[in-house]
Amino acid sequence: MGKLRLQDLTRGGKIRIGLLALALILPFLPFVTDYVLHIAILVLLYMILSLGLNIVPGFNGLLDLGYVGFYGIGAYTSGLLTYHFGLSFWVIIPLAFINGAIWGILLGAPTLRLTGDYFAIVTFGFSELVVLLLTNEIWLTRGPLGLPGIDVVSIDLTLFGGPKWEFIGELPYYYLAIVMVLVTVFVMYRIQDSRLGRAWFAIRDDEVAAVSCGINLLAYKVIAFAISAAFGAVGGSFFARWVTFLSPDMFKFWESFLILCMIVLGGMGNIWGVMIGAVVLVSLSEVLREILPVLGLPVQVRFLAFGLIMVLMMRFRPAGIMPIPAVAAKMRAGRVKRKKVKPAVGIKK
Amino acid sequence: MLLELDNVKTYYGNIRALKGISIEVDKDEIVCLIGGNGAGKSTTLMTISGVLTPVEGDVLYKGQSIVSVRPDNIVRMGVCQVPEGRMIFPLLTVMENLDLGAYLRKDKDGINEDIDRVFGIFPVLRERRKQHGGTLSGGEQQMLAIARALMSRPNLLLLDEPSLGLAPILVDSIFETIRQINEQGTTILLVEQNAQLALQFSRRGYVIETGEIALSDTSAELLNNEEVKKAYLGE
Ligand SMILES: Nc1ncnc2c1ncn2[C@@H]1O[C@H](COP(=O)(O)OP(=O)(O)O)[C@@H](O)[C@H]1O
Ligand SMILES: [Mg+2]
Repeated sequence: MGKLRLQDLTRGGKIRIGLLALALILPFLPFVTDYVLHIAILVLLYMILSLGLNIVPGFNGLLDLGYVGFYGIGAYTSGLLTYHFGLSFWVIIPLAFINGAIWGILLGAPTLRLTGDYFAIVTFGFSELVVLLLTNEIWLTRGPLGLPGIDVVSIDLTLFGGPKWEFIGELPYYYLAIVMVLVTVFVMYRIQDSRLGRAWFAIRDDEVAAVSCGINLLAYKVIAFAISAAFGAVGGSFFARWVTFLSPDMFKFWESFLILCMIVLGGMGNIWGVMIGAVVLVSLSEVLREILPVLGLPVQVRFLAFGLIMVLMMRFRPAGIMPIPAVAAKMRAGRVKRKKVKPAVGIKK
Repeated sequence: MLLELDNVKTYYGNIRALKGISIEVDKDEIVCLIGGNGAGKSTTLMTISGVLTPVEGDVLYKGQSIVSVRPDNIVRMGVCQVPEGRMIFPLLTVMENLDLGAYLRKDKDGINEDIDRVFGIFPVLRERRKQHGGTLSGGEQQMLAIARALMSRPNLLLLDEPSLGLAPILVDSIFETIRQINEQGTTILLVEQNAQLALQFSRRGYVIETGEIALSDTSAELLNNEEVKKAYLGE
C-alpha cells in the first residue's frame, strides 16, 4: 500500500474528506455557540435515524410509518437501564441494537406478509401503541411526568486505575455523534454492496422477479425491518443520554413523519441524499422555531411547512434532491396508466 | 409425471380466475397453454410457482404437493418462472441480472460454467454483459429474462408469453432457442397468446378459457382443430 495522497483522490473522495474535516473543526469556528452545536448534534442524530429508516422504504420499497416506535423503545430502555442500574452507555449501545432488532422481528414477522398499505397502517398503529404504553405504564416510565435525571455518558477507566471522564456540555456529544454517524454510514455502504443488499434491491425493484430468483421475500424484509429498528433504538439511546430527560410526547407520530420527510426530500435509497435531507429539515425546523413566534404563529405550523415541502417535492422532484435511478424509475412508472385489457376470444359460447 | 395440476382453483379476492384447472407435464416435454387475454394463463403459472396459493386443488411436482411450499423453495426444487412482460432488473447490468438468477447457488465454478452456457445460447448477451438491462432491446430483454431463469438450473421452466411485444423475426428465433433449451434437458411449460407458434413448437397443448380448460390434445391435432383454427389461428 502506497501513501494516501490528496491528488490521487476522486472528486467525491475530496468532498467527503473536506466535509469530514469541516465537521471536525466546526466547534472551534468563531460563530459556533453552544446553541449551534446543539443543532449540529441534532442533525447528526437525525442522520443516524434517517439512515436507519431508509433501509425499509429506501432499500426495500416498503412504507414504514412507525419508526419512531423503535426510537422511543431505544430511548426509554436506555434511560431506564441507566436510571435503575447505572449501566454504562458503551454497554447499552449493543444492547439497544439487539433490543431494537428483536422488536423489529416481533413486529415484522407477522405483519410483513401484508401488502404495502396494510403494513404501513400496522406500523403506524405500533408507534401509537408505544406512546400509549409510555404514557400509561406509570410504574415503569413515570408516564407524562417524564424520566428526568438520566446519567450523562462517561468514559470510566477507574477499573484500570485511570480517570473517569464525564461528558459535560455539547462538545463531547458532538464528537460522539460524529463517530456514530461514521459507523452508521460505513455499515450502510457495506450492506448496500453485500448479498443482502442485492436481495433487498431486487425486492424493491420487482417482487415477482425477485421471488423467481429464489429470494425469500418475507425473510429479507424481516431482516431489513430488524436492522432498521436496531438503528432507531441506537439513536434513541444516544438521545436519552444526551438530553438526560425523556417524556412520551417526544415520540409521537410526527417524529416518524419528519424522518420520512428527510428521506423523501434527500432521495430515497441514497445514503448521501438521506443525510442531506436530515441537514435541511433539522435546520429548517430550527429556523422556523425562531421565526414562527415572531409572526404570531404557533410552532406547530412547522409541520404545515413540511407538508407543503412534501407536496412540492412530489410534484417537481418526486425522487428527491439526490435521486437514485431505481426510485426515479418507480416514480415515473407510477404515472403511467395501465393499458385496457382487450376482450377475450373463445371457442365456447 | 413431472408436474400435475389437479382441479386447481385460484381466486383474487372474489374474482375466480381459475375455476378448476387440470394440467399434466411430462419430463422433457414442451407443453403449451394457449388462450386469450384474461383467460387465466399467468394465474396458472403464478399458482405453480407458489406466488399465488390455490383455494382448492393440488399442484404436484415429482409427485409431491407444492401448494404450501414457499416460492423461493419451489425455485430451489427446480421450478423457475419467467414472468410475463420481461421482468428483468432494468437498472442492473446483464451480468448482475444473471448473478441474481443464481442467487440460491454457492458453487462459483458451476455458476461461471452456466454463465458460459447461457452466453452460448444467447451470444448477444455476452456482447452486452456490462450494459444495463433496461438499455437492451425488447428481444434482448426477453433473452435476458430466460437466461436469468436458466441460471437457477431449473428442471421445469415456466415461460409466460415469451413472444409478447416482439418483432416477428425475433419471435421465431426465441422459439428456436426455447426448443434448444428443451433439447438440453429442461422441461418447458409455455404460455402463449401466439397460438400458431406455440403449437408448432410444442408436443401437447391446452386451451384455457375464462379459467377453465376448454380443450387438450397433441399440438398437431389442435393445429387442425376447426374450433381452434377459428378462435385462435385467425383462419
Ligand atoms: N392482481 C389481480 N387482481 C385481480 N384480478 C386479477 C389480477 N390478475 C389477474 N386478474 C384477473 O384474473 C383473470 C385471469 O388473469 P390472467 O391470469 O392474468 O390472464 P392471462 O394471463 O391469461 O391474460 C382475469 O380476469 C384478470 O382480470
Ligand atoms: Mg398473462
